[in-house]
Amino acid sequence: MEKTNKFKYLTDELIQKINYYLNKFPKKEQVIIPSLHEILYVYRDIPFEAIEELSEYLDIPLARIEDVVTFYDMFRHRKNAKNHIRICRNLPCHLGKYRNLLKQIEKLTGAEVDGHSADGLWYIELVECIGSCAIAPAFLINDDLYDGSKIKSEEDLKKILEKYISENSGEL
Amino acid sequence: MKTRENYPHIPEIHVESSINLLLRRAKENRTTPLEEYVTTGGYSALEKALKRLTPEDIVVLVEESTLRGRGGAGFPTGRKWRFALSNPPPRYLICNADESEPGTFKDRIIIERDPHLLLEGMAISAYALGVNEAYIYIRGEYPAGYQILEDAIRDAEEAGYLGENILGTDFSLKIYVYRGAGAYICGEETALIESIEGKRGHPRLRPPYPANEGLFGRPTVVNNVETLSNIPIIVTYESYFMNIGPSGFYGPKLFPISGKVEKPGVYESTMDITLRELIEMAGGMKDGKKFKAVFSGALGVYSKRDLDTPMDYSPKGFGGTGTTIVLDEDDCIIDSLIVIANFFHHESCGKCTPCRVGTYEQHNLLKKFQEGTATEQDLNLLKHLAKNIPIGSICGLGFSAPQAIADAIKKYPEEFEAHLRGECPAGVCF
Repeated sequence: MEKTNKFKYLTDELIQKINYYLNKFPKKEQVIIPSLHEILYVYRDIPFEAIEELSEYLDIPLARIEDVVTFYDMFRHRKNAKNHIRICRNLPCHLGKYRNLLKQIEKLTGAEVDGHSADGLWYIELVECIGSCAIAPAFLINDDLYDGSKIKSEEDLKKILEKYISENSGEL
Repeated sequence: MKTRENYPHIPEIHVESSINLLLRRAKENRTTPLEEYVTTGGYSALEKALKRLTPEDIVVLVEESTLRGRGGAGFPTGRKWRFALSNPPPRYLICNADESEPGTFKDRIIIERDPHLLLEGMAISAYALGVNEAYIYIRGEYPAGYQILEDAIRDAEEAGYLGENILGTDFSLKIYVYRGAGAYICGEETALIESIEGKRGHPRLRPPYPANEGLFGRPTVVNNVETLSNIPIIVTYESYFMNIGPSGFYGPKLFPISGKVEKPGVYESTMDITLRELIEMAGGMKDGKKFKAVFSGALGVYSKRDLDTPMDYSPKGFGGTGTTIVLDEDDCIIDSLIVIANFFHHESCGKCTPCRVGTYEQHNLLKKFQEGTATEQDLNLLKHLAKNIPIGSICGLGFSAPQAIADAIKKYPEEFEAHLRGECPAGVCF
C-alpha cells in the first residue's frame, strides 16, 4: 500500500489505529499508551523518531510522551531483535530453575541476557513475574507464552525456536 | 468466531475446583464463547438484576455477602461501593486486571477462559453503581487476554448484553480495555488511575480516596477481576451465597499454587480450606520432599506452624490473592527473599524515598547474608527497614515491600543465624 501521510515511522496503518483510539477514548492523553503499544508491535521497540512523530500527530509535547516511555518497562528505545524472549526470574520460576532454561536458550540462540544474537534474530531479557507461575520456568517469545517445565531436551526448545526463525525468514 | 489459534499461544495451566462456581467454564484451556456462556446460564444474573432488582437491592446483596476484595488488601466490596455511591455521578468502575504479584495467576484464568463472567459481573456492578463507562486495566504481559476481552466485549455488544440500552432497558454501559506496559505499581489503584489517564504510574496521596476523586477527578470504584466475577454468583444465589464457605468469609476463592507441589495450578475452594489441605489438593509436595515454607506472594511467609490455618481473611489467614508459593527442604529462605527483595527494588516507582532507597538496601543486606559477609548489625538494619519503609511510603507497594522479610526474620530466625555463621541449611548459598 502506498503511504499517503507525511510521516516516516507512523505508517498509514499505524495512523489508522491511533485514530481508532482517538475515537474510542474520551481524553487525548489516553491515546499515548495504546499508540506506543502499536508502535512497539510494528517495530519491536520504540524508535525515538516515532515518538517525535506521535507527539506532532497527537499535538502532545514530546516530553510528555517520553515521560511515559521511560516509566514503563515494556516500552524501550533500545533496538530490539526480530524476536524478543522474556524469561521470568521471579520466585516460582526461580524455584523452577529458570537459570537452566536460560543457559539452554542462550546456547541455542547465541544471544545473552540483555543482548542480541549476532544474526539479529534474538534478544533475551529477564523479567519479573509474568503471571504464569504454574508453568515455571515460564517464558514469552514475542506475544506467545511457553511452559519451561515441558522443555526436557534441547530438541524440545529447538522445535519452539524454529517456528520463529521460519516465520521471520519470509519477511527478511 | 475466533478460536484459540487466533490468539497468542497460551499453554495449558492446571485448573481444579471442588465447588464449580468461578471456574465452572474454565476447566479446559479454551475460551468459552458467548453462545455457550448463555446456554449454560450466563447473563441470566444480569437480566435478573436489570429487570427485577434495583441498584440498591444489588448493593445490599453485596454487603450481606461479606464479599471482600480478591486483589490483595481484602477491603469489603460493599463498603467500597457505598463510599462511591455517596458521591454524585458520573462515576467510573475500573476492573483491576493488572495481576502481577509474584505467584499470582488466577485472574488470567477467568479472563482467558471465561471472559463473559467478568463482563457480566462488571455490567451488574456498573448498574448498581450508576456507572456508564467502565475500564478493564489489563497488564501488558497478557496480550492474549487483551484480545480475548476485546472480542468478548464486541460479541456481548452485538448480542445486547453491553453497549446501548442493555437487554432493552434504559441502562447503557461502555467497557474499555486498557493495556498496561509492564509496571507492577500500576496494580495499585491510584497508580492504575494515573496510568489510564495516560501518565506515569505514580500513586496518588490519599485522601482523597478514589471513591471520592478517582479517574478524571470523579468517584471511582476499583475492583479486582475475581471480585467482580463473584457478583453474578451473588445475584443468582442471593441468601444461598451464605451457604458457600465459612461464616463471615462466604463465597468461592481462587488459590494460585506454584512452587514445589506435584500439580501447580489454580484451585477453587471455600475459605475454610487449610494450607495443608490446599497443598494436598495440589497433589502434595513435589517428589515427596519435606515442606519448608510458603510465600504468599510478596506479602508474607508461612511456616509449618501455619499449615492448619484456614485460608480466609482473618489476621492469621491468607486473604487477598490467596497466592501460595511452596518451598521444600532444598530451598533457602534467604535466597528466596533476595528474589522478592530484588522484585520490589525493581518495581518501586521511586516516588517515596524510603521505598526507593529502602528496597535497594534490603536487597543489598540480604545479598550479604548469602555471600557470608553479614553481621548482627545487618540483621538489625533489616528489622529497622521493615519498620520504616511502610511508615514512609504512601502506597501498598511500600507497605508490603518488607513484609516477607519481617515475617521470615520472625518465623525462621534459625535461617538467619545459620547464614551469619556461614552455613546455608538448604545448601543453596555460599
